[in-house]
Amino acid sequence: MASLGELERSVMSILWDDSEALSANELRGRLGDGPAVTTVLTVLSRLEKKGMVVRDRGLRPHRYSPAASREEHTVDLLNEVLGTAGDRQAVLTRFIGGVSDSEAAALRRILQEG
Amino acid sequence: MIWLAAFLAVLAVLMAAPAPRLLSGATFRLSSPWTAMLLWQAMALAGGLSLIGAPLVFGLIPFGDSVPSAVAEVLRLVRAVDYGALEDRHVSPVHLFSLCLAVLLAGHLLLTLLRTSTRTLAARRRHRDLVRLLSSPAHGGSPERGTPVEGSGTGRRAALIIDHEIPLAYCLPGVTAARSMTVLSQGMLDALGAEDLDAVVAHEHTHLQQRHHLLTMAFEAWYRALPWLPTTRYGREAVLELTEMLADDGALRDHPREALVRSLALGAPASEATTDETSSDGPLAAAHHDDLQVTAARLRRLLSPPPQMGRTARGAVVVLAASLMVVPTAMLLIV
Repeated sequence: MASLGELERSVMSILWDDSEALSANELRGRLGDGPAVTTVLTVLSRLEKKGMVVRDRGLRPHRYSPAASREEHTVDLLNEVLGTAGDRQAVLTRFIGGVSDSEAAALRRILQEG
Repeated sequence: MIWLAAFLAVLAVLMAAPAPRLLSGATFRLSSPWTAMLLWQAMALAGGLSLIGAPLVFGLIPFGDSVPSAVAEVLRLVRAVDYGALEDRHVSPVHLFSLCLAVLLAGHLLLTLLRTSTRTLAARRRHRDLVRLLSSPAHGGSPERGTPVEGSGTGRRAALIIDHEIPLAYCLPGVTAARSMTVLSQGMLDALGAEDLDAVVAHEHTHLQQRHHLLTMAFEAWYRALPWLPTTRYGREAVLELTEMLADDGALRDHPREALVRSLALGAPASEATTDETSSDGPLAAAHHDDLQVTAARLRRLLSPPPQMGRTARGAVVVLAASLMVVPTAMLLIV
């Protein structure tokens, strides 16, 4: 039995890869090991709370789609890490702060010689 | 009491401007980052204590001969709503304002610390959720050796991979070790060999193991509370730099120096890969300036290691730090 965390990840990756909104039942079908629909609904409501999926309440059954694309989320994440948006303190540090291009080139030379 | 107030005021001024300026440029931080870190933490404590203590002690002068007895007397008068006593004791409005200032300052500092930590924790939790959804666990850090990136074998603080071409490695401290995570970008994996990646992960693990986020947290809060004070600005930058050096030292225990140098140099964004992002106001631009200096200092330190700091010198710094922590505290409690 996959943990809720793993299921969240699987559900998101299905939603991201799929072009149209899906219902909980359709999602359950695409999840390999077939968790119960109630479990899928739990996962979806958790994801909705986190702002990861939006629910279309227009029709029954409700259909779910990702709030933003995988790429958009990745950019958000990077912005947070690199300190332009959000809280720089949230992420302790980045290993690569940045070396100027000329410094990096000089070092590459040194390293190749060595 | 008046002398204690004066002493604390002088200490506050020293801690506010000249001391942090001196320390942030001191070269001994390169050879012994942990003693410099100790001194910074001591200065933050002494600075805060004297900043609050000076007006507090001054305001308490009419109420008693020692701080504890004067505080007790003030509390008693407040409970008794005894205005007459104020006149008998020749309490001037200046004393009262001074007391209010101390209380407000203390409240401001504590509240800012509280707010900074709750906000930071919330931001980390959000970030962690997002990383969990976006990443894949690290496997095949080294295809030749067939071993995963260091640490992923335990499955607890395994490195997670984010799919993006900017070379990046960072760690997210969690409340427990199991919740801490090290994140690498695909760009980092592409740029570095297995040995170098191991060194990078060891660097991040050192951050987590030594709980560096707790050492920087107070300075972050300090800075938010009093951004105009030089201590807080210098302190925040200096402490961040020291955590990087400490993490480098941690990585150097098990990994070759060359691996760290290579990962710093080769992992840096190559010009062609990031021109469009770094050119103006891309995600890298703002962060670049700050970190350029830290990275340069780290590289210099790795390429030409500074001489060992003498035992006596280290001892002197430790004693200085200890007295900064103990003396003002003891004086407030006893004198």
